[in-house]
This record gives sequence, C-alpha cells and structure tokens, in this order.
Amino acid sequence: MITQMHVKGLMFDPYNNAYIVILRDENQSEMLPIWIGKPEASSISLALENIAPPRPMTHDFMKAYLDAVNAKVISVVITDLNENTYFAKIHLMYGDSEYTVDSRPSDAIALALRSEAPIFVNESVIKKQSSEELDQWLENLKPEDFGKLDS
Amino acid sequence: MPEPTIESAGPLLQLSVDRVVDDATTDTRIAVLSRTDVPTEHLMIWVGASEGEAIRRALDVSVTPRPMSHDLIKNFGDHLGITMTQVVLTDVKNNTYFATVYVQSNGVTRTIDARPSDAIALALRCHAPIYVTQDVWKRRSGQNLEAWLSKVESKNFGTQEV
Repeated sequence: MITQMHVKGLMFDPYNNAYIVILRDENQSEMLPIWIGKPEASSISLALENIAPPRPMTHDFMKAYLDAVNAKVISVVITDLNENTYFAKIHLMYGDSEYTVDSRPSDAIALALRSEAPIFVNESVIKKQSSEELDQWLENLKPEDFGKLDS
Repeated sequence: MPEPTIESAGPLLQLSVDRVVDDATTDTRIAVLSRTDVPTEHLMIWVGASEGEAIRRALDVSVTPRPMSHDLIKNFGDHLGITMTQVVLTDVKNNTYFATVYVQSNGVTRTIDARPSDAIALALRCHAPIYVTQDVWKRRSGQNLEAWLSKVESKNFGTQEV
C-alpha cells in the first residue's frame, strides 16, 4: 500500500546541521520527516516558492533533460527506510513504456515538484518511523522554524 | 567524422577537466579546464560548492552509497537509451558561462541549455567530450590567472599555519 503525501515544508535541523523536508498526507494524520543536504533543500525550496533562477539549477536541468526527449515523470515513491537512509523510485513514461529509476528521496522530491508529479510513500516506511519521537520533536518547534531557507 | 562546428565560427576546441580547486574565501569551487591540444592553456570556471564536488567525485571516480543528482541524470539516460554526445561552452556574459548539452535518442539529436557545472559533471560521468567555441575561448577570463591560482592552492595547503 502507498499513501500520497505532500511537501509540508522545510526546516533546518541545527543539531545535525542538516535540513528536513516534511511530508504530510491529505488527512494530516501521518507525517514523514526526511533529512536531506543543503543543496537539495535549496532546490526544493526554490520549487516550493515557484522561483525561477536566472540559470537552470541542477534539478531544472534534470527536468529539461527529460523534457528534451519527451520523457514524463509519472510519480515518485519513497520506498524504504534503512538505518535512517531513505530510498525512492522515480517512475517515468517514455515512448510507450514505463521505466523505474532508483533515487535519493531528495532528488525525487525536487524533480516531482518541478514535474507536478504526485509523491507517494510506502506505508511500511511510515510505520517504521517512530512517530512518537517525531511528534515530540515537532511540538517543540515554532512556526518560524518552517520559514524560508536562506539559499 | 567531421570536426564539430557551431555556425561556421571555426572548429570547436576540445577541453579536458584538470582539477577542481577550493576557493576557500567564498565557499565556491573553481573548475580548471585545459585545451586538449595545448594542455598548458587553461580556462577556469567558478562553480557552486555542491556542483564542484560533483565534478570532483567524477574526476576521482569515487562512488557514493546512493546516487547523487548527476548520477541520477546519467541513470535516466542509461535506462531510456539516451546518449550524451557532447557539451559545448557556447557563451560567456559578465563572467557567467553558458553551456549546451547535446543528447541523442532514437537517432535524433536534441540540445539542452545548462550551466557549465552541470554539463561538465554529467559529461565526465557519460564520457562525453567537452568543447568550447573559439569565440568563448578568446574571451575567457583568467588567462593570467595561473599565477593567482597557484597562490590560492598554496594558501589552501598552508591554512594550518594560521
């Protein structure tokens, strides 16, 4: 089973000096944090805020590369969580065939936002992740923590 | 095969990527390229830290546990049967270089506008040649940067003294 989720926002995690992208399902009942690097966070932030930089950034180039050959991103799926590393798959339509490509979730999300493709998460991933711990972590956050990145 | 040309502006010059240098003062990287036929003549392009590291990983042939962004683009090509045929540095305006990536699928060639950093990071992974137009080569900045660069590099080595 997979659940569709949306990008709720980005946060900076000062303890790990990393960024967290927060995914949330439609009913707002499930939440999934994914720790990502700074360049990927900047890229997701640009897409969320609909900012077109003067030159194509890496994921804009990635999208242009697929557009050039008429390949379309159908969906991305966060498939597995293994020792705090998340795995994702990007589903593409090219010609009459569907292709599946292994990816980091950060690249998959950055590309999905630019392609207006849905983001799904395997339910096993949502279950695996300790929600109590996360809830507590999130309760301590202030609204301004969801603010913009200074990229 | 004839030498690749762009709008008859003379034959393109082939470049190879020498190394990536840290510009510690600005947290950027400098990609140092040289002419394949005259390896002592260089072209330097300032790139972002993450793009510079992507180029460096390709030069070092280092493999990461998970595919990084440019590995993913290469994997798209491998899965879909798209070949990257060449990269051309086509223009420079106010020290910003412009690149065009050439890809081929089902016998048709298509071009994609790119930053040189992405184009180079992908070209190294796909073993595609990198070219520069004669016009851009003539207008490149940093023809006298060799001395400056060696200073930067020695400074980086000497940071522990401070």
